[in-house]
Amino acid sequence: MNRLTRIVLVSMAWLLGFVWLFPLIYAIWAAIHPAEYATKFSLFAPLTMDNFKEAWNEAPFLRYMINTVAITLIILTGQLVLCTLAAYALARMEFFGRGLMFALVLMQLMVVPEILIVENYQTLAGLNLIDTYWGVALPYVASAFGIFLLRQTFKTVPQDLENAAKIEGCSVLAIIWKVYVPLAKPTYLAFSLVSISYHWNNFLWPLVVTNTEKSRPLTVGMSIFGAPESGVDWSIISAGTLISVGPLLILFILFQRQFVQSFMQAGIK
Amino acid sequence: MANFLKVENLCRFYDDVAAVQEISFEVGKGEFVALLGPSGCGKSTTLKMIAGLENPDSGTIEIEGQDVLGKAPGKRNLSMVFQSYALFPHLSVRENILFGLKARKVPKPERLKRLNSAVEMVGLGPHINKKPGQLSGGQSQRVALARSIVSNAPLCLMDEPLSNLDTKLRADMRTEIRSLQKQLGLTVIYVTHDQIEAMSMADKIILLNQGRIEQTAAPEEFYDKPLTTFVASFIGHPPMNLIPQKEFLLGVRPEHVQIVDVDTGSEISMVIQECDYQGSETIVTGEYMGTMIKVSMAGKCNIPSGESVNVRWEPGAVHRFKTEGGQRLEDNP
Repeated sequence: MNRLTRIVLVSMAWLLGFVWLFPLIYAIWAAIHPAEYATKFSLFAPLTMDNFKEAWNEAPFLRYMINTVAITLIILTGQLVLCTLAAYALARMEFFGRGLMFALVLMQLMVVPEILIVENYQTLAGLNLIDTYWGVALPYVASAFGIFLLRQTFKTVPQDLENAAKIEGCSVLAIIWKVYVPLAKPTYLAFSLVSISYHWNNFLWPLVVTNTEKSRPLTVGMSIFGAPESGVDWSIISAGTLISVGPLLILFILFQRQFVQSFMQAGIK
Repeated sequence: MANFLKVENLCRFYDDVAAVQEISFEVGKGEFVALLGPSGCGKSTTLKMIAGLENPDSGTIEIEGQDVLGKAPGKRNLSMVFQSYALFPHLSVRENILFGLKARKVPKPERLKRLNSAVEMVGLGPHINKKPGQLSGGQSQRVALARSIVSNAPLCLMDEPLSNLDTKLRADMRTEIRSLQKQLGLTVIYVTHDQIEAMSMADKIILLNQGRIEQTAAPEEFYDKPLTTFVASFIGHPPMNLIPQKEFLLGVRPEHVQIVDVDTGSEISMVIQECDYQGSETIVTGEYMGTMIKVSMAGKCNIPSGESVNVRWEPGAVHRFKTEGGQRLEDNP
């Protein structure tokens, strides 16, 4: 590679990185300065932590945080269990209509979740689950993407490994748990990351299905700052946003290397 | 010797194509039986059906007098060694060997006892904490053997366990497996396409061809009395020469043919085509009565092609087969 291409490539990377990072940089700027500096840049702007305090006091963040964590975990657990079982069946069991079943699962990938909001609301209302964790989680606990991803991974596990485990007396569930799951670890990591970040940030469905702070996640809770009747205070919104994305951001920075590696191994780019 | 394993009329079809057809055989306790045949002859399918990894379309399998069809593989009291070794890549050597014992909830002191003796038997001591990815082919196969040993199962099924190893290692492992089998009194069903493995290790060989048994016999009988032309042309290095005669096929092994300098009065001679020097012997190919035959000569032998030589063999070295069907004819003409 000659010098010029290298310079162009590196500056493109920096540019792209900056575009990606800019909203976060702005949020940090706005959050640690008084409101009048939110849209004004000055090196000598006074630093303050008041925005965080105000945001924290204005909304029950702790409660929202607990809700978000609980909902994300319920969804993730449900997805991992259901997708594993479905993926194993689609990858290794022979039954009538398997191809059709898999095609239907794939078709689901093309359906935009928002289109189902009304239908889902009716179903969950029928189940009496409006404004509960389960209400937010249930429409997402089976993931077509997860099933597809795990099925592809399970297909690459040599049949002999399963045969060996069978001869050693393992049941189907034991085979899945002791052979398939450990071998698909990178895929599980990559999928979990995608799932957590999607559901941590999910907004529309929780907005529809939650009514009180009993089950309202951070994203919906945050929206009260942006409500037109209370006026838009960018500094406080930024502080609130930082509080809500903080845990995820710290997790990502800590596990960055593992995440990137597992994405490479799982073949998702 | 009591019948330990009894297979009767076993059939298996894949989309109406028969992979295994009416296979029947019996194996005594402590016997080493080789299932030999070219690829696609149904030997692996037969083994998988005994293991319970596949179900036959008809026929019965009995182990120690009990019908095992319908029993799960884990309940048949057998172990298996795979060509691909089938080691779990995420587990250490030690955990791989202990895998089955843990799955069967064998108590810990017993587990360790069996682990230690098996590890010592196959000589894996220094590698016990390594992952399978760090092992050579030979070491991997030793782990697979150890896993089969610790199970204490009286029947061990081996599916081409040495095919992925190089020639020298293969020879060493042959002796090793055979001595392990004797030491432990194991009954072994050994699938292979390599006649040397079958001839050198087995008490009894079952030769399969296109899903059917061609011959079941001890190794020396395979060499001395092949039942069909298929057996005759499968066993031997190079295989037996088959020369069409008026009423039958005449078979003679290359190592039983001699090239003689003196004219013995026989008007039939062989026209040399080529000499293939292989170290301890030379394989001479030539045309004899309109058929290409091979002659194995000790040492180096270089006869220019096109030259005619006289050949002879002892009358006792001759085999005769039917022209139609290839069955062996009675020895006395």
